[in-house]
Amino acid sequence: MLWPSSRTSCCATRIACSKPMEKAVNQATLPPKLPPAFERKVEVRGFLQWINAPERRGALLVTPALATLFLINILPLLWSFGLSFFNYRANRLTAPKFQGLENYTDLLGDDRVWERFVTTGLIVSSSVALQLLIGFGLALLFAKKFPMRRLALMFVLTPMMLSFVSVAIFFKLFYDPTLGMLSWFISLFTGESFALLATPAGAIAGIVIADAWMWSPFVMLLVLAGLVSVPGYLYEAAEIDRAPSWKRFRTITFPYVKSLLLLALLFRTIETFKTFDLVFLITEGGPGSTTETIAIYAYRLGFQFFRTSEASALAYMILFVVIVLTSIYLYVVKQRNASEGV
Amino acid sequence: MTLSLSNIHKRYGGLHALKGVHLDVPEGAFYALLGPSSAGKTTALRVICGLETPDEGAVTLFGQRANDAPIQGRGLAMIFQSFALYPHLNVRENLAYPLRRSGLSSGEIDKKIGRVAETLNIQHRLGNRTDQLSGGEQQRVAIGRALIREPQVLLLDEPLTNLDAKLRDAMRVEFKRLHRELGITMLYATPDQLEATTMADQIAVIDDGRIIATGTPQDLYHAPPDARVAQLVGSPPVNLVPIQDRSTAGTWLGFAQLAIPAPEGTVCAIRPHDLTVATGEADFEGAVVLTEALGDVSVVTVQVGDAQLRTVLYGADAARVRIGDQLPLKINHAMYLPAAQCAQV
Repeated sequence: MLWPSSRTSCCATRIACSKPMEKAVNQATLPPKLPPAFERKVEVRGFLQWINAPERRGALLVTPALATLFLINILPLLWSFGLSFFNYRANRLTAPKFQGLENYTDLLGDDRVWERFVTTGLIVSSSVALQLLIGFGLALLFAKKFPMRRLALMFVLTPMMLSFVSVAIFFKLFYDPTLGMLSWFISLFTGESFALLATPAGAIAGIVIADAWMWSPFVMLLVLAGLVSVPGYLYEAAEIDRAPSWKRFRTITFPYVKSLLLLALLFRTIETFKTFDLVFLITEGGPGSTTETIAIYAYRLGFQFFRTSEASALAYMILFVVIVLTSIYLYVVKQRNASEGV
Repeated sequence: MTLSLSNIHKRYGGLHALKGVHLDVPEGAFYALLGPSSAGKTTALRVICGLETPDEGAVTLFGQRANDAPIQGRGLAMIFQSFALYPHLNVRENLAYPLRRSGLSSGEIDKKIGRVAETLNIQHRLGNRTDQLSGGEQQRVAIGRALIREPQVLLLDEPLTNLDAKLRDAMRVEFKRLHRELGITMLYATPDQLEATTMADQIAVIDDGRIIATGTPQDLYHAPPDARVAQLVGSPPVNLVPIQDRSTAGTWLGFAQLAIPAPEGTVCAIRPHDLTVATGEADFEGAVVLTEALGDVSVVTVQVGDAQLRTVLYGADAARVRIGDQLPLKINHAMYLPAAQCAQV
């Protein structure tokens, strides 16, 4: 009795507007009285259907990611920016007091901050220069074909894939005066153990070497990408045009690599500028504070002296420097492209 | 001889690219190296200019053995198929590139650039980057860069392949003019028989790593040594018809009878323009299966039995013919050519 009638109504509704009428049919076929729990279930299902509708589904899917990003990234960022204008200390219970730009002016007037910036600049410039030099040399080497090239390439790329902690511990042991390999090697000539990290210059050299060891392969990868994109026929044409090899390098090879080299310079400068783990694990900023980079100083301010607001302000100053560096890079690239008419 | 190759062999791993190439290019010649793709044209040029060392054989330049001579010392210039312009230099710098170590003063270099740019009509482009140029202009810069140090021999590796048809026509005339004006020896590799026959005064046909024929364009067209050469020289391509029955009385092609007896081991080659619409008695009739209109002439393919033959029709005939028509055809001229081993009809 029910079947034929429901079927005809179904057909009829399909022509008009299907959904509400179908619901009506469903209700018609359901038993007249439902237990209350069951009714609640229907309600929940209705909500799920509503939120799962195609027009809301996109938003639904990105919400967890956005929420996570906001909670653990954007909110602390804004929070710390706000903190940098107060005199908040994370180990005190007193209510923080607003003090405007005082943290910033204090930091800018502090000689210690400028010293840390100089130290950081010294480490950054020498390490990045070394990385570019070694990376470029390695790339030139690996652009040629030789036996076992792939295997050698794999080994050369390994440092980049290690974690900072393992590289730092490795170098700390390597430099160790009593059981390190470096000390042992030098003692073969001098007869005395050698503590590289004991002198300010030696400590900076130690950090620069470790950083360059770890990140030269990265520069090499970028430069190698440029080198392999040079069409071979250009070298052949240059050879027939009787160009000597240094000129081939200057007019053909280098222009292909130049922009990638600039990119490597930017990446490595920003990364090295922020270096914390490597320095902290190898020297802990010592001897004295001679290898204390700006990042380590910010850490000490925040988590050893508990001057939380001041540390936040310093962190924002570091961000500012990085943004300035990036802008300079982008400006240079834009100028170059404009002059080349790209 | 300005340039000669004798018994040159070149192998790339398992690939035998050149299998005993002999080539003699006289001074001042416009010499074409004609062959299908991967026949060994480019390899031959690379061996001559020194980018490759031959595995066997001798390269002789200006009467001296040059197998191991340094590339820079060979006195050759080469134009690449890809033009190989230096992308980060402008036109002037590209032109000046081969001159920088020649000991010329900058004034002399400027004068040379001016002269070459004028010859090639690119004076207004000297300050531009090469990627701002059109294909034809890039080609001219490549030519200019090759000519600027006044080489005695110019090697050209398919220089027109990357250009469109109209530019190709213009550049053909240009190359011919340059050759006449400069009087240098030019060796021109091309897969296009039209380029070879219109420009060169001598052609060497290369196929599968061997030179299979040399001669003037007329010789190779009218009296090709074998069927493969006949296939490679001449457009539209020659009709090759296997001979069904040879006797002293005549030759039976399967659809038409020829009066002259054919020697053993030959095929019958009929140039498309030697096959005409019969006004009187026809040799055979064929059904039109394809027409290609080229303006005032049409290339028409007819089916006779198993064979497909191309013919060229002119004027009113060309306009009238339709697919499916039965055409009465007459063979005005046919050649009996030895069937080459690699010929594929």
